[in-house]
Amino acid sequence: MNVAVKPVEKFRSNVAVNRFRGKDLLAGTGYWVGVVLLLGFILLPIFWIALTSFKTYQQAFTLDVFFQPILDNYKTIFDDPLTFGPKIVNSLVVGVGTVLIAIPLGMMAAYAFSRFHFRGSNVLLVWVLATQFIPPVVIIIPFFNLFRTIGLVDTLIGLIILDLSIVLPYVTWMVKGYIDSLPVEVEEAALVDGCTDIGILWRITFPLVMPGVIVAAVFGFIACWNEFLFALIIGNRDAQTLQVGFYQTASGPKGIQWELMSATGMIVMVPILILSLLIRKHFVGGLTMGAVK
Amino acid sequence: MRGKYSKFIMLSPAILVLLITTTYPLIYALVISLRNWQLTRSPEPGDWVGLDNYIQAFSDSNFINSVQVTFLFTLLSVSLSIGIGLAIALLVQKKSLVNTILKTLLIFPFAVSPTLKGFSWRFMLNSDYGLFDHLVKAVFPFTKDIIWLSDPFWAMFGLAMSETWGWAPLIALMFVGALGTISPEITEAARLDGASGYQVFYHITLPLLRPVILIALLLKTIFSLKMFDQVVTMTGGGPGNSTQTFNYFIYQVGFTNLDMGYASALAIMLVVFLSIIAYLYVKLLLGKQA
Repeated sequence: MNVAVKPVEKFRSNVAVNRFRGKDLLAGTGYWVGVVLLLGFILLPIFWIALTSFKTYQQAFTLDVFFQPILDNYKTIFDDPLTFGPKIVNSLVVGVGTVLIAIPLGMMAAYAFSRFHFRGSNVLLVWVLATQFIPPVVIIIPFFNLFRTIGLVDTLIGLIILDLSIVLPYVTWMVKGYIDSLPVEVEEAALVDGCTDIGILWRITFPLVMPGVIVAAVFGFIACWNEFLFALIIGNRDAQTLQVGFYQTASGPKGIQWELMSATGMIVMVPILILSLLIRKHFVGGLTMGAVK
Repeated sequence: MRGKYSKFIMLSPAILVLLITTTYPLIYALVISLRNWQLTRSPEPGDWVGLDNYIQAFSDSNFINSVQVTFLFTLLSVSLSIGIGLAIALLVQKKSLVNTILKTLLIFPFAVSPTLKGFSWRFMLNSDYGLFDHLVKAVFPFTKDIIWLSDPFWAMFGLAMSETWGWAPLIALMFVGALGTISPEITEAARLDGASGYQVFYHITLPLLRPVILIALLLKTIFSLKMFDQVVTMTGGGPGNSTQTFNYFIYQVGFTNLDMGYASALAIMLVVFLSIIAYLYVKLLLGKQA
């Protein structure tokens, strides 16, 4: 039977190939034109920032690609008055601090949501998901006034509290997805083997979902690192983050100094590009909250 | 963890933090939106004014303008992101080494912070030394007199392009995942039956992509309505107030004019509007998981 069918299939596909050969050539050229356009579109803005960061003030206003690269910009932005060092530290503290609070709270809540169903649990879950869609400008108005009263304006703690409003619902939802995909049988087997409840969580469940937790943590950190509105309003001096420092560096008294904007831009961008490469397989699932895998 | 109360013990810390950081501000904003509170005059909220702050909005030309601007921005950035995203997806869908590399590069623009997106596109579109400005004007000579960010329409278009730059590649990745689930036998069969490439795309690929397109559409709409950072670093709302989005307008009312009552009323309006779209999105999301 098989032997009889094969030659027919082969013949068919040969006809198809012959018929489409001319078209294929055209399609092949079209493909490469598309690739060049795509590469230009997504990489040129990044490449141009990288290139400009090694230019002088005057060169930044030219389209020169070949020039004597300098490292002065990377020195200037760390010197007085731009002093980028403390701003990097602030951003790291806010990002790491937020994630360190959000991960344990989010993991516990995610576990409860995933494994227990009780009256109102679905409503609560939808509420957690919905808090993600509250625009930051709504969050900041009350907190700006509250923080003025209790003295949390221009503090890193204030920024961590605000960033939790973005990161915690996200982490909870993400980790819940990972626990959902873990069969309950694994936990039940451990229970039969005499493991305690806490032991199961600690030794079985959490280690198994750890890859997912790391992805959620990286996303949370990126969100904090890139956050601008809260930091602009709350962290104006001592608690200035990278993004706000970046904004002010770029819009100095001389107008925008593109070479300094680019050097600071590199510091803003490169760590996040590296982090996003680490979680590239989870990027789409993470950003659509699991709607698209 | 089988104890009766353990689930509540595990839930309560997260719930508490979320109540404080998201629900408290919402209720607070709702209360303040009913009061007169100019921070320049008093550090405490003033008289109750009922719905005056809401009514004020509808006779405020800046409000009307910002709603129109946001609508146009959302329309442009959503359609550009999905259109270009679809084109990219079709380009890189076949499995090959080049396409694998391209798909990896596609995540980069989204990871770039919105503030930097704004600055870099402002740089790229500068009419004297912008790289994209020169490239576009070389390919399309009829654009040679356009000063992108000084023209109300083109400034809006540039802003939407900076947003599209981040989103189109990401949406492309969403589509590539969905395209991978379309069995090649279906398209091959259609081809052998004499369907043209366009017919295959229109009658097979597109209908099968519909659920993903819907998700991308809603998600992008939510993010477009919340867009703020690039307005600050790219156009500053200008020229004039032609790119003053709703979010940016609320920010200015609240933190430049320091009118907390009015800003709260505007913020509540944004929440109501976003809720409708978020409701559709959440429904879709939960439907998919069930």
